[in-house]
Amino acid sequence: MEIPYEVTARRDTGLYNAKIGVWLFLASEVMLFGGLFSAYVFLRVGTEPGIDNPWPLGINVQMVFAGFINTLVLIASSVFVVFAWVALKERKWNVFRNWMIGVLVCSALFMVIKSIEYNSKLTKHHDVKLTDNSILGGTILKDEDGVRTDRIRFDAESVTVDFTGGLPGFDSQIAKADREGLEFKIEGSDETLKLGELDGWFMENRRRTLRGMAEMRKKQRKGTWDPETDKAPVSKATLLASFRLNANPRKISSRDEETLNLRDRTVVKGKLVSDTILFELHSINLQMVPLQDQENVLAWKLIKDDHVKENVLALRDEKLELVRDHFEDGVIPVKTLQGPVINYHNIHDEPGAHGDGGHDDHGHEHGEHHGDEDHGKSDAAAKEAHPGDHGSEDDADHDHGHGHGDHHNVVVEIPRDQTSFVTNHGPRAGTYYAIYFTMTGLHGLHVVGGALVLAYFLFFGKRLFLKNPEHLANRVEVGGLFWHFVDLVWIFLFPIMYLM
Amino acid sequence: MAASPEEMASHKKSYTAVGIALGVLTCLTLALGYWHPFDMGVPGLDWTDITLGLVVACVKSSLVALIFMHLNHERGLIYKILVFTFCFFLSLMVLILFAGSDPIREAFDAVRTSLS
Repeated sequence: MEIPYEVTARRDTGLYNAKIGVWLFLASEVMLFGGLFSAYVFLRVGTEPGIDNPWPLGINVQMVFAGFINTLVLIASSVFVVFAWVALKERKWNVFRNWMIGVLVCSALFMVIKSIEYNSKLTKHHDVKLTDNSILGGTILKDEDGVRTDRIRFDAESVTVDFTGGLPGFDSQIAKADREGLEFKIEGSDETLKLGELDGWFMENRRRTLRGMAEMRKKQRKGTWDPETDKAPVSKATLLASFRLNANPRKISSRDEETLNLRDRTVVKGKLVSDTILFELHSINLQMVPLQDQENVLAWKLIKDDHVKENVLALRDEKLELVRDHFEDGVIPVKTLQGPVINYHNIHDEPGAHGDGGHDDHGHEHGEHHGDEDHGKSDAAAKEAHPGDHGSEDDADHDHGHGHGDHHNVVVEIPRDQTSFVTNHGPRAGTYYAIYFTMTGLHGLHVVGGALVLAYFLFFGKRLFLKNPEHLANRVEVGGLFWHFVDLVWIFLFPIMYLM
Repeated sequence: MAASPEEMASHKKSYTAVGIALGVLTCLTLALGYWHPFDMGVPGLDWTDITLGLVVACVKSSLVALIFMHLNHERGLIYKILVFTFCFFLSLMVLILFAGSDPIREAFDAVRTSLS
């Protein structure tokens, strides 16, 4: 039996089934993305300058040109899909096929550009927050062994595993050069263990330990446990071997020069080789450092550049004077005392340039603020107007990190004990990045889903075209509606995430 | 049924025109965000720039919705569905206004400091 109104429209509504269905679906999608946009606005206007982590301006932390190209690519794909529908209405299969191939090429290009952006954020851009709340933006470098210097490099002599803890993860962090042929000697026995046998050996002992502990508890409950004759099950074992461990600091609960205590209850003993972070510096963010404390921030000791320090402090003094004059009663909102973001190359290479009065590659002045309610003027304008609430945006790196061809890239050594937070520009870096990845990631999944549906029409639609071309035209129209919606979401995402 | 050639020709013209317009408006969006001469209002990002950017985005999305998604000549039932959608979406945005009266904001605004 044929389903009615698949091709011809109903007389009462004037619509075929799929069209009503897809518009209902799109209505629900509007609520999905609307909720996310609403959350974004809520989080953004709720950020308190000087108290919360600064909200970066998209224009300074995003690959804006990549986003621009992606916008054009999606617009082109929208045009292509509507021309594909027209070709079906004209009963021209080959023309339809060509336009649809164009749509799929555009969607693939979009995802490739998106993956390049994500890769850049996750692997090439980092922020190091120091203990005085100043934030250094740049790239974590590798050492001569090719190991990222945010790892704790440790020469291990022994590892004590706890069978009541989690499966040890230290083995994945052993240096590549030491992995080949590595054997552990089990302390107190003649047995040895190869690296690949570690997990199996651990799980076997874990089962034995947990069984023993269950029996012990059972005896204790019954009152038949004799501490003199009954022994508690062995819950730990020590493995002896010498190897280099490049430990992930997020998996360490505490450490000193000779011991690493990991979160899975493994204890590694040996000697600390290095925990200093080698960092290619791009920017210094003093937004969390009150103006009056900027003289002694840790960043100056690390970069050892008096020129930068003098420029920034000169700008600071100007601002303090303006602020004092403006707020005569001495009552000053916290956000007014918010420090600047310094693009290191601009301030370093332009003698006499002010900390956030320099110009970046985009012709915008630094010290631009984000649109907070009482904001906000750049420092340059502040001199003319009033020294109002000023929040400079994050100026970490633009297009990105490697585009400073004329500059000598400064590398600083950051002692680990002076850091409070080290991150890439992934979701954990802050609310802005979290919502950026959520929204663009969800949008990307919609692109993939839409492309799969349109690909189905391209590769399997010929049969339906020969049988009932109007039916195929309706399906493509409906798939195209979804595709246009995806384009529509990106039309809003691009300016909000990349330019504001 | 197959559409008439004249009908399709006029469709194609409008789609091409809208496609070009979208490209131009995208360039305008980029210029508004990036290029100093297009920086309206107070220098740097302020509410003028944000409003302008969103207005351009609304114009672009209207073109997509009306022309590409055929909303300029759609049936009444679709509009009825979308009215509800629009109202719910507006409510989501309006909800944020209630956060303005959040007491914790007043506490932050009341933080005092003095310069030595």
